[in-house]
Amino acid sequence: MKEMLSLKTAERRVFQATLADGLWDVFLGSFVLIFAIAPLLSRSLGDFWSSIIFLPFWGLVYLLIRLAREKVVAPRLGTVHFGEHRRRRLQRFTIVMVIVNLVALVAGIVAFARFNRITESGTAPMPGGLSSLLGLFMLMGFSLAAYLLDFPRLYLYGMLLGAASVVGEWLYQNHGAAHHGYPVAFGAAAGLMILAGLVMFARFVMVHPAEEKGNLDG
Amino acid sequence: MDEFNPQDGVNLLANLDPVIHAPARLMILTYLYVVESVDYVFLMNLTGLTWGNLATHLSRLEEAGYIEIQKTFNGKKPQSILILTKAGRVAFQAYKDTMKKVLDDLPE
Repeated sequence: MKEMLSLKTAERRVFQATLADGLWDVFLGSFVLIFAIAPLLSRSLGDFWSSIIFLPFWGLVYLLIRLAREKVVAPRLGTVHFGEHRRRRLQRFTIVMVIVNLVALVAGIVAFARFNRITESGTAPMPGGLSSLLGLFMLMGFSLAAYLLDFPRLYLYGMLLGAASVVGEWLYQNHGAAHHGYPVAFGAAAGLMILAGLVMFARFVMVHPAEEKGNLDG
Repeated sequence: MDEFNPQDGVNLLANLDPVIHAPARLMILTYLYVVESVDYVFLMNLTGLTWGNLATHLSRLEEAGYIEIQKTFNGKKPQSILILTKAGRVAFQAYKDTMKKVLDDLPE
């Protein structure tokens, strides 16, 4: 009740209530898995197919999340249609993220073409600073998304993924971890994100028990 | 002694809309003001009000013409969609402006 007179806080609270089920975290974590698993598959499937193989996996995760949202979350949380302010923010977020991802894609293709050389003993070390740059880019991308969406957990995930890139390369150069250490570092990061999402989902289900409710007549 | 002027500072409090001024209804209208629509379950989760309590306040707001309750179906389940009416938006805005004026006029 003490926050009642702040309309901005109320609006933010409405939006954040829709993110409290943890399903977004699971979805993002499943995206990050590609950094951990694709390098392991690239030897046998090639770089292209080792990434493409994730499309049906993401499709399956997306379908499961939609199903969970429809059957588990919506009856417990209810539904909301956001106001004009939030819709404008979401549109701005979509445009910015399309631009950020296009830049990331082009930068990734250029970096891959110039630096990635698969040798007999594995992949060659990336030039100094490239891992840090990738980490910084992830941190910035996620921080931007966190700011535009009012979704503070994304700051944490940005730091996690930024660190994963640097730690992976460090593991590769100092301890001989395979594939620039990405399977270990990004696997751990993706695992943490998915775990956090699942814990939040379990908590959400416990806090909002299923009841027959939905209209004012009982 | 100064003459009573209902448009002056704290005296404005006497003009506050009693339908909106109840804390629970103020909270409900605050949420409805910032969204396009919500269903009953979502509003109940947001406000923390009980089923019956929320229903009572919503009825009061509906009687005043401040909200519209649309009964629909989500699949086979009945669903109550709540929307702030134009009159509700105007009344809330007036309430907000009055409160702001009164509170801004108070000395530290």
